[in-house]
Amino acid sequence: MFEPPVQRLVDELARLPGIGRKSAQRLAFHLLNAEETDAVRLADAITSMRREVRLCTRCFNVTAEEECSICRDLRRDTSIVCVVERAQDIPVIEKTGEFSGRYHVLGGAISPIEGIGPDQLRARELLDRIDAENITEVIVAANPTLEGDATAMFLARMLKPLGVKVTRLASGLPVGGDLDYADEITLGRALSGRKEL
Amino acid sequence: MALYNDQGIVLRSYPFGEADKVVIILSPNRGKLRTVAKGVRKTKSRFGGRLETLTHVDLVLYEGKNLDMITQVSIIEAFPTLRQDLDRVVAAGTMIEVADFVAQEDEPTLRLFLLLQRGLRALDGGDVHPDLLTGYLLKAAEIIGVAPALTHCAGCGATDGLTRFSFAAGGVLCDRCRTPGSYALREGLTGYLAAIATSDLSALPEPDLSMSRESLGVTRRFLEYHLERGLDSMALLDA
Repeated sequence: MFEPPVQRLVDELARLPGIGRKSAQRLAFHLLNAEETDAVRLADAITSMRREVRLCTRCFNVTAEEECSICRDLRRDTSIVCVVERAQDIPVIEKTGEFSGRYHVLGGAISPIEGIGPDQLRARELLDRIDAENITEVIVAANPTLEGDATAMFLARMLKPLGVKVTRLASGLPVGGDLDYADEITLGRALSGRKEL
Repeated sequence: MALYNDQGIVLRSYPFGEADKVVIILSPNRGKLRTVAKGVRKTKSRFGGRLETLTHVDLVLYEGKNLDMITQVSIIEAFPTLRQDLDRVVAAGTMIEVADFVAQEDEPTLRLFLLLQRGLRALDGGDVHPDLLTGYLLKAAEIIGVAPALTHCAGCGATDGLTRFSFAAGGVLCDRCRTPGSYALREGLTGYLAAIATSDLSALPEPDLSMSRESLGVTRRFLEYHLERGLDSMALLDA
Protein backbone atom coordinates (compact mmCIF):
# COMPACT_ATOMS: atom_id res chain seq x y z
CA MET A 1 0.00 0.00 0.00
CA PHE A 2 1.18 3.48 -0.88
CA GLU A 3 0.09 6.82 0.53
CA PRO A 4 -3.60 7.37 -0.30
CA PRO A 5 -3.15 9.87 -3.21
CA VAL A 6 -0.62 7.57 -4.93
CA GLN A 7 -2.66 4.45 -4.21
CA ARG A 8 -5.75 6.09 -5.66
CA LEU A 9 -3.94 6.78 -8.94
CA VAL A 10 -2.47 3.25 -9.02
CA ASP A 11 -5.96 1.80 -8.51
CA GLU A 12 -7.44 3.94 -11.29
CA LEU A 13 -4.64 3.14 -13.75
CA ALA A 14 -4.91 -0.58 -12.99
CA ARG A 15 -8.53 -0.48 -14.16
CA LEU A 16 -7.41 0.38 -17.70
CA PRO A 17 -7.30 -2.44 -20.27
CA GLY A 18 -3.92 -4.13 -20.53
CA ILE A 19 -2.53 -2.40 -17.42
CA GLY A 20 -1.63 -4.67 -14.53
CA ARG A 21 -0.81 -3.57 -10.98
CA LYS A 22 2.93 -3.43 -11.63
CA SER A 23 2.52 -1.28 -14.76
CA ALA A 24 0.07 0.95 -12.89
CA GLN A 25 2.64 1.52 -10.15
CA ARG A 26 5.34 2.31 -12.72
CA LEU A 27 3.10 4.83 -14.49
CA ALA A 28 2.02 6.45 -11.21
CA PHE A 29 5.61 6.91 -10.06
CA HIS A 30 6.60 8.19 -13.49
CA LEU A 31 3.93 10.87 -13.18
CA LEU A 32 5.02 11.61 -9.61
CA ASN A 33 8.59 12.19 -10.71
CA ALA A 34 7.72 14.06 -13.93
CA GLU A 35 7.28 17.84 -14.21
CA GLU A 36 4.00 18.93 -12.67
CA THR A 37 2.95 20.52 -15.99
CA ASP A 38 3.23 17.11 -17.70
CA ALA A 39 0.87 15.54 -15.19
CA VAL A 40 -1.57 18.45 -15.43
CA ARG A 41 -1.51 18.25 -19.24
CA LEU A 42 -2.37 14.55 -19.11
CA ALA A 43 -5.19 15.14 -16.62
CA ASP A 44 -6.50 17.98 -18.77
CA ALA A 45 -6.36 15.85 -21.95
CA ILE A 46 -8.44 13.15 -20.26
CA THR A 47 -11.07 15.48 -18.81
CA SER A 48 -11.44 17.59 -21.97
CA MET A 49 -11.78 14.45 -24.12
CA ARG A 50 -14.56 13.20 -21.86
CA ARG A 51 -16.23 16.61 -21.81
CA GLU A 52 -15.97 17.55 -25.48
CA VAL A 53 -16.12 14.33 -27.47
CA ARG A 54 -19.45 12.90 -28.56
CA LEU A 55 -20.79 10.84 -31.46
CA CYS A 56 -21.34 12.33 -34.91
CA THR A 57 -25.08 12.62 -35.46
CA ARG A 58 -24.71 11.30 -39.02
CA CYS A 59 -22.12 8.51 -38.95
CA PHE A 60 -21.50 7.91 -35.20
CA ASN A 61 -17.77 8.59 -35.49
CA VAL A 62 -16.28 10.35 -32.47
CA THR A 63 -16.26 14.12 -32.85
CA ALA A 64 -16.10 17.35 -30.89
CA GLU A 65 -18.75 18.97 -33.12
CA GLU A 66 -22.31 18.12 -34.13
CA GLU A 67 -20.92 16.23 -37.15
CA CYS A 68 -17.43 14.75 -37.55
CA SER A 69 -14.82 16.36 -39.81
CA ILE A 70 -15.34 13.69 -42.49
CA CYS A 71 -19.11 14.26 -42.71
CA ARG A 72 -18.55 18.04 -42.82
CA ASP A 73 -15.97 17.80 -45.61
CA LEU A 74 -17.76 18.96 -48.79
CA ARG A 75 -15.14 17.34 -51.05
CA ARG A 76 -16.11 13.81 -49.92
CA ASP A 77 -18.23 11.61 -52.16
CA THR A 78 -21.57 11.39 -50.37
CA SER A 79 -22.92 8.54 -52.51
CA ILE A 80 -20.51 5.93 -51.07
CA VAL A 81 -20.53 4.85 -47.45
CA CYS A 82 -17.98 2.60 -45.79
CA VAL A 83 -19.45 0.64 -42.88
CA VAL A 84 -17.03 -0.12 -40.03
CA GLU A 85 -17.52 -1.93 -36.73
CA ARG A 86 -15.81 0.65 -34.52
CA ALA A 87 -14.79 4.31 -34.78
CA GLN A 88 -11.14 3.21 -34.35
CA ASP A 89 -11.32 1.53 -37.78
CA ILE A 90 -11.88 4.87 -39.58
CA PRO A 91 -8.32 6.27 -39.26
CA VAL A 92 -6.95 2.95 -40.53
CA ILE A 93 -8.96 3.22 -43.74
CA GLU A 94 -8.27 6.96 -44.02
CA LYS A 95 -4.52 6.22 -43.91
CA THR A 96 -4.78 4.20 -47.13
CA GLY A 97 -5.83 7.34 -49.02
CA GLU A 98 -7.98 5.09 -51.26
CA PHE A 99 -11.41 6.03 -49.95
CA SER A 100 -13.10 9.39 -50.37
CA GLY A 101 -16.66 8.65 -49.27
CA ARG A 102 -18.28 8.87 -45.86
CA TYR A 103 -18.46 6.32 -43.05
CA HIS A 104 -21.02 4.64 -40.84
CA VAL A 105 -20.00 3.18 -37.48
CA LEU A 106 -22.17 0.15 -36.69
CA GLY A 107 -20.99 -0.20 -33.11
CA GLY A 108 -20.09 -3.89 -33.35
CA ALA A 109 -20.86 -6.93 -35.46
CA ILE A 110 -23.65 -9.47 -35.59
CA SER A 111 -22.67 -12.41 -33.43
CA PRO A 112 -24.83 -15.50 -33.92
CA ILE A 113 -23.16 -17.16 -30.94
CA GLU A 114 -23.65 -14.32 -28.48
CA GLY A 115 -27.06 -13.45 -29.85
CA ILE A 116 -26.02 -9.94 -30.94
CA GLY A 117 -28.44 -9.06 -33.69
CA PRO A 118 -28.99 -6.06 -35.96
CA ASP A 119 -31.21 -4.42 -33.33
CA GLN A 120 -28.20 -3.96 -31.07
CA LEU A 121 -26.25 -2.30 -33.89
CA ARG A 122 -26.85 0.91 -35.84
CA ALA A 123 -28.29 -0.91 -38.85
CA ARG A 124 -31.61 0.96 -38.77
CA GLU A 125 -29.71 4.28 -38.80
CA LEU A 126 -27.80 3.12 -41.88
CA LEU A 127 -31.06 2.23 -43.59
CA ASP A 128 -32.40 5.70 -42.82
CA ARG A 129 -29.33 7.28 -44.43
CA ILE A 130 -29.72 5.44 -47.76
CA ASP A 131 -32.64 7.52 -49.01
CA ALA A 132 -31.81 10.69 -47.13
CA GLU A 133 -28.31 10.90 -48.63
CA ASN A 134 -28.88 9.17 -51.99
CA ILE A 135 -26.32 6.49 -51.18
CA THR A 136 -25.62 4.17 -54.12
CA GLU A 137 -22.84 1.97 -52.70
CA VAL A 138 -22.14 0.57 -49.26
CA ILE A 139 -18.71 -0.93 -48.63
CA VAL A 140 -18.77 -3.33 -45.68
CA ALA A 141 -15.41 -3.04 -43.92
CA ALA A 142 -16.27 -5.33 -40.99
CA ASN A 143 -13.46 -7.59 -39.77
CA PRO A 144 -12.88 -10.74 -41.86
CA THR A 145 -14.26 -12.96 -39.09
CA LEU A 146 -17.38 -15.10 -38.84
CA GLU A 147 -19.13 -12.17 -37.11
CA GLY A 148 -17.93 -9.67 -39.72
CA ASP A 149 -19.07 -11.94 -42.54
CA ALA A 150 -22.48 -12.42 -40.90
CA THR A 151 -22.80 -8.64 -40.62
CA ALA A 152 -21.92 -8.22 -44.29
CA MET A 153 -24.45 -10.85 -45.34
CA PHE A 154 -27.14 -9.20 -43.23
CA LEU A 155 -26.44 -5.73 -44.66
CA ALA A 156 -26.48 -7.13 -48.21
CA ARG A 157 -29.85 -8.75 -47.50
CA MET A 158 -31.19 -5.48 -46.07
CA LEU A 159 -29.83 -3.07 -48.69
CA LYS A 160 -29.78 -4.92 -52.02
CA PRO A 161 -33.59 -4.83 -52.47
CA LEU A 162 -33.27 -1.03 -52.32
CA GLY A 163 -31.00 -1.09 -55.36
CA VAL A 164 -27.89 -0.25 -53.34
CA LYS A 165 -24.62 -1.84 -54.45
CA VAL A 166 -23.17 -3.69 -51.45
CA THR A 167 -19.49 -4.61 -51.55
CA ARG A 168 -17.14 -6.26 -49.06
CA LEU A 169 -13.45 -5.54 -48.53
CA ALA A 170 -11.43 -8.19 -50.34
CA SER A 171 -9.63 -10.69 -48.15
CA GLY A 172 -6.55 -12.64 -49.08
CA LEU A 173 -2.80 -12.65 -48.72
CA PRO A 174 -1.09 -9.85 -46.79
CA VAL A 175 1.45 -7.80 -48.75
CA GLY A 176 4.95 -9.10 -47.97
CA GLY A 177 3.57 -12.39 -46.66
CA ASP A 178 4.69 -15.86 -47.64
CA LEU A 179 2.39 -18.23 -49.56
CA ASP A 180 3.78 -21.14 -47.52
CA TYR A 181 2.20 -19.81 -44.36
CA ALA A 182 -1.21 -19.02 -45.83
CA ASP A 183 -4.10 -20.98 -44.38
CA GLU A 184 -6.71 -22.71 -46.55
CA ILE A 185 -9.52 -20.25 -45.78
CA THR A 186 -7.46 -17.15 -46.58
CA LEU A 187 -5.86 -18.68 -49.67
CA GLY A 188 -9.26 -19.92 -50.86
CA ARG A 189 -10.64 -16.41 -50.60
CA ALA A 190 -7.58 -14.98 -52.33
CA LEU A 191 -8.16 -17.39 -55.20
CA SER A 192 -11.88 -16.75 -55.54
CA GLY A 193 -11.28 -12.98 -55.41
CA ARG A 194 -8.33 -13.02 -57.85
CA LYS A 195 -7.89 -10.11 -60.26
CA GLU A 196 -7.12 -10.16 -63.94
CA LEU A 197 -3.84 -8.42 -64.80
CA MET B 1 4.39 -27.96 -18.39
CA ALA B 2 4.56 -29.84 -21.66
CA LEU B 3 3.61 -29.84 -25.28
CA TYR B 4 0.64 -31.93 -26.29
CA ASN B 5 -1.41 -32.61 -29.42
CA ASP B 6 -5.16 -32.37 -29.63
CA GLN B 7 -7.93 -31.48 -32.03
CA GLY B 8 -11.21 -29.68 -31.72
CA ILE B 9 -13.80 -27.30 -33.10
CA VAL B 10 -13.35 -23.59 -32.38
CA LEU B 11 -16.42 -22.50 -30.41
CA ARG B 12 -15.59 -18.82 -29.98
CA SER B 13 -12.79 -16.41 -29.27
CA TYR B 14 -12.33 -13.00 -27.81
CA PRO B 15 -9.56 -10.38 -27.89
CA PHE B 16 -6.89 -10.70 -25.25
CA GLY B 17 -4.09 -8.18 -24.71
CA GLU B 18 -2.62 -6.23 -27.61
CA ALA B 19 -2.96 -8.70 -30.49
CA ASP B 20 -3.82 -12.05 -28.90
CA LYS B 21 -7.04 -13.97 -28.58
CA VAL B 22 -8.44 -16.39 -26.06
CA VAL B 23 -9.79 -19.25 -28.17
CA ILE B 24 -12.35 -21.66 -26.70
CA ILE B 25 -12.18 -25.07 -28.37
CA LEU B 26 -14.32 -28.19 -27.99
CA SER B 27 -11.99 -31.15 -27.87
CA PRO B 28 -13.31 -34.72 -27.91
CA ASN B 29 -10.53 -35.74 -25.51
CA ARG B 30 -10.36 -32.87 -23.04
CA GLY B 31 -13.74 -31.19 -23.24
CA LYS B 32 -13.68 -27.43 -23.36
CA LEU B 33 -10.17 -26.11 -23.90
CA ARG B 34 -9.36 -22.53 -22.98
CA THR B 35 -6.34 -21.55 -25.03
CA VAL B 36 -4.45 -18.44 -26.03
CA ALA B 37 -3.24 -17.70 -29.55
CA LYS B 38 -0.45 -15.14 -29.56
CA GLY B 39 -0.53 -12.43 -32.22
CA VAL B 40 -3.51 -13.97 -34.03
CA ARG B 41 -5.19 -10.58 -34.58
CA LYS B 42 -2.26 -9.28 -36.61
CA THR B 43 -2.75 -9.51 -40.38
CA LYS B 44 0.54 -11.37 -40.77
CA SER B 45 -0.15 -13.87 -37.99
CA ARG B 46 1.14 -17.35 -38.82
CA PHE B 47 -2.21 -18.72 -37.60
CA GLY B 48 -4.13 -16.70 -40.23
CA GLY B 49 -7.76 -17.70 -40.42
CA ARG B 50 -7.17 -21.16 -39.00
CA LEU B 51 -8.58 -20.28 -35.59
CA GLU B 52 -11.83 -18.74 -36.82
CA THR B 53 -15.01 -19.89 -35.08
CA LEU B 54 -16.54 -23.06 -36.59
CA THR B 55 -13.24 -24.51 -37.79
CA HIS B 56 -12.20 -28.06 -36.94
CA VAL B 57 -8.49 -27.87 -36.26
CA ASP B 58 -5.53 -30.01 -35.31
CA LEU B 59 -3.45 -28.37 -32.59
CA VAL B 60 -0.14 -28.45 -30.82
CA LEU B 61 -0.44 -26.76 -27.44
CA TYR B 62 1.88 -25.77 -24.67
CA GLU B 63 0.41 -26.38 -21.24
CA GLY B 64 0.14 -23.15 -19.29
CA LYS B 65 -0.82 -22.26 -15.73
CA ASN B 66 -4.22 -20.84 -16.69
CA LEU B 67 -4.49 -20.97 -20.45
CA ASP B 68 -2.73 -23.41 -22.79
CA MET B 69 -0.82 -21.69 -25.59
CA ILE B 70 -1.39 -22.72 -29.19
CA THR B 71 1.94 -23.23 -30.92
CA GLN B 72 0.81 -24.92 -34.17
CA VAL B 73 -2.52 -25.27 -35.89
CA SER B 74 -3.75 -26.84 -39.11
CA ILE B 75 -7.25 -27.10 -40.51
CA ILE B 76 -9.02 -30.46 -40.60
CA GLU B 77 -12.38 -29.12 -41.84
CA ALA B 78 -13.34 -25.49 -42.46
CA PHE B 79 -17.06 -25.79 -43.43
CA PRO B 80 -16.71 -23.15 -46.20
CA THR B 81 -20.26 -23.38 -47.63
CA LEU B 82 -21.83 -22.83 -44.21
CA ARG B 83 -19.96 -19.52 -43.80
CA GLN B 84 -21.46 -18.03 -46.93
CA ASP B 85 -25.10 -18.16 -45.85
CA LEU B 86 -26.53 -16.05 -43.02
CA ASP B 87 -29.27 -18.53 -42.04
CA ARG B 88 -26.78 -21.38 -41.81
CA VAL B 89 -24.39 -19.25 -39.74
CA VAL B 90 -27.22 -18.39 -37.34
CA ALA B 91 -28.17 -22.10 -37.00
CA ALA B 92 -24.50 -22.96 -36.45
CA GLY B 93 -24.44 -20.26 -33.78
CA THR B 94 -27.15 -22.10 -31.84
CA MET B 95 -25.29 -25.41 -32.17
CA ILE B 96 -22.12 -23.76 -30.87
CA GLU B 97 -23.93 -22.00 -28.01
CA VAL B 98 -25.42 -25.26 -26.73
CA ALA B 99 -22.10 -27.12 -27.01
CA ASP B 100 -20.27 -24.28 -25.30
CA PHE B 101 -22.71 -24.20 -22.40
CA VAL B 102 -22.86 -27.93 -21.88
CA ALA B 103 -19.17 -28.87 -22.25
CA GLN B 104 -16.93 -28.70 -19.21
CA GLU B 105 -13.18 -28.32 -18.97
CA ASP B 106 -11.16 -31.52 -18.45
CA GLU B 107 -14.16 -33.75 -19.20
CA PRO B 108 -13.96 -35.79 -22.42
CA THR B 109 -16.95 -35.00 -24.62
CA LEU B 110 -16.69 -37.33 -27.58
CA ARG B 111 -20.47 -37.61 -28.11
CA LEU B 112 -21.02 -33.85 -27.95
CA PHE B 113 -18.05 -33.27 -30.25
CA LEU B 114 -19.36 -35.77 -32.81
CA LEU B 115 -22.84 -34.25 -32.61
CA LEU B 116 -21.47 -30.77 -33.27
CA GLN B 117 -19.28 -32.07 -36.10
CA ARG B 118 -22.26 -33.83 -37.72
CA GLY B 119 -24.45 -30.77 -37.26
CA LEU B 120 -21.92 -28.49 -38.91
CA ARG B 121 -21.37 -30.98 -41.74
CA ALA B 122 -25.13 -31.08 -42.38
CA LEU B 123 -25.19 -27.26 -42.48
CA ASP B 124 -22.23 -27.26 -44.84
CA GLY B 125 -23.88 -29.60 -47.36
CA GLY B 126 -26.52 -28.94 -50.00
CA ASP B 127 -30.04 -28.01 -48.92
CA VAL B 128 -30.44 -27.74 -45.17
CA HIS B 129 -33.18 -29.94 -43.70
CA PRO B 130 -35.83 -27.76 -41.98
CA ASP B 131 -35.67 -29.97 -38.87
CA LEU B 132 -31.88 -30.09 -38.59
CA LEU B 133 -31.70 -27.71 -35.63
CA THR B 134 -34.56 -29.52 -33.87
CA GLY B 135 -32.70 -32.80 -34.35
CA TYR B 136 -29.51 -31.26 -32.99
CA LEU B 137 -31.23 -29.88 -29.90
CA LEU B 138 -33.01 -33.20 -29.19
CA LYS B 139 -29.72 -35.09 -29.44
CA ALA B 140 -27.97 -32.51 -27.27
CA ALA B 141 -30.73 -33.02 -24.66
CA GLU B 142 -30.08 -36.75 -24.79
CA ILE B 143 -26.34 -36.27 -24.24
CA ILE B 144 -26.99 -33.98 -21.26
CA GLY B 145 -29.37 -36.58 -19.87
CA VAL B 146 -32.63 -34.68 -20.24
CA ALA B 147 -34.01 -36.23 -23.43
CA PRO B 148 -37.78 -35.67 -23.49
CA ALA B 149 -40.01 -38.73 -23.24
CA LEU B 150 -41.84 -38.72 -26.58
CA THR B 151 -43.15 -42.25 -27.09
CA HIS B 152 -44.30 -43.04 -23.55
CA CYS B 153 -45.73 -41.11 -20.62
CA ALA B 154 -42.97 -39.48 -18.58
CA GLY B 155 -45.00 -40.23 -15.43
CA CYS B 156 -46.17 -43.87 -15.73
CA GLY B 157 -44.68 -45.19 -18.96
CA ALA B 158 -48.07 -45.67 -20.68
CA THR B 159 -47.89 -45.57 -24.46
CA ASP B 160 -51.41 -44.39 -25.29
CA GLY B 161 -53.51 -41.39 -24.48
CA LEU B 162 -50.46 -39.14 -24.58
CA THR B 163 -52.22 -35.82 -24.86
CA ARG B 164 -50.22 -33.42 -22.73
CA PHE B 165 -46.64 -32.14 -22.69
CA SER B 166 -44.77 -30.87 -19.67
CA PHE B 167 -41.28 -29.37 -19.50
CA ALA B 168 -40.99 -30.04 -15.77
CA ALA B 169 -42.18 -33.66 -16.02
CA GLY B 170 -39.76 -34.31 -18.87
CA GLY B 171 -41.94 -34.97 -21.89
CA VAL B 172 -45.38 -36.26 -22.86
CA LEU B 173 -47.94 -37.24 -20.23
CA CYS B 174 -51.06 -39.37 -20.35
CA ASP B 175 -54.40 -38.03 -19.11
CA ARG B 176 -53.94 -39.73 -15.75
CA CYS B 177 -50.51 -38.17 -15.11
CA ARG B 178 -51.28 -34.71 -16.43
CA THR B 179 -49.95 -31.99 -14.14
CA PRO B 180 -50.92 -28.33 -13.79
CA GLY B 181 -48.94 -26.36 -16.34
CA SER B 182 -48.79 -29.21 -18.84
CA TYR B 183 -50.35 -28.32 -22.14
CA ALA B 184 -51.85 -29.98 -25.19
CA LEU B 185 -49.63 -30.41 -28.21
CA ARG B 186 -51.13 -30.51 -31.67
CA GLU B 187 -51.91 -33.96 -32.92
CA GLY B 188 -48.99 -35.85 -34.40
CA LEU B 189 -46.33 -33.51 -33.03
CA THR B 190 -44.86 -35.93 -30.47
CA GLY B 191 -44.61 -38.65 -33.13
CA TYR B 192 -42.95 -36.14 -35.44
CA LEU B 193 -40.46 -35.18 -32.73
CA ALA B 194 -39.81 -38.84 -31.85
CA ALA B 195 -38.99 -39.62 -35.49
CA ILE B 196 -36.52 -36.72 -35.58
CA ALA B 197 -34.96 -37.72 -32.23
CA THR B 198 -34.24 -41.26 -33.39
CA SER B 199 -32.80 -40.34 -36.80
CA ASP B 200 -29.25 -39.46 -37.70
CA LEU B 201 -28.75 -35.78 -38.53
CA SER B 202 -27.73 -36.74 -42.06
CA ALA B 203 -30.86 -38.87 -42.59
CA LEU B 204 -33.73 -36.99 -40.98
CA PRO B 205 -37.29 -38.05 -41.93
CA GLU B 206 -39.25 -36.32 -44.69
CA PRO B 207 -40.05 -32.83 -43.35
CA ASP B 208 -43.58 -31.57 -42.77
CA LEU B 209 -43.31 -27.79 -42.93
CA SER B 210 -46.54 -27.34 -40.98
CA MET B 211 -44.88 -29.17 -38.04
CA SER B 212 -41.31 -27.88 -38.32
CA ARG B 213 -41.76 -24.48 -36.72
CA GLU B 214 -43.70 -25.76 -33.73
CA SER B 215 -41.39 -28.72 -33.17
CA LEU B 216 -38.38 -26.38 -33.04
CA GLY B 217 -40.24 -24.06 -30.65
CA VAL B 218 -41.18 -26.88 -28.25
CA THR B 219 -37.69 -28.40 -28.35
CA ARG B 220 -36.06 -25.03 -27.77
CA ARG B 221 -38.24 -24.20 -24.78
CA PHE B 222 -37.77 -27.71 -23.38
CA LEU B 223 -33.98 -27.39 -23.56
CA GLU B 224 -34.04 -23.82 -22.20
CA TYR B 225 -36.11 -25.01 -19.25
CA HIS B 226 -33.63 -27.76 -18.39
CA LEU B 227 -30.51 -25.68 -19.05
CA GLU B 228 -32.07 -22.94 -16.90
CA ARG B 229 -31.08 -20.28 -19.43
CA GLY B 230 -32.30 -18.86 -22.69
CA LEU B 231 -30.53 -19.60 -25.95
CA ASP B 232 -29.37 -16.11 -27.02
CA SER B 233 -28.48 -17.15 -30.54
CA MET B 234 -32.04 -18.28 -31.24
CA ALA B 235 -33.20 -14.70 -30.84
CA LEU B 236 -31.58 -14.12 -34.24
CA LEU B 237 -33.67 -16.91 -35.75
CA ASP B 238 -36.78 -15.09 -34.52
CA ALA B 239 -35.59 -11.77 -36.00
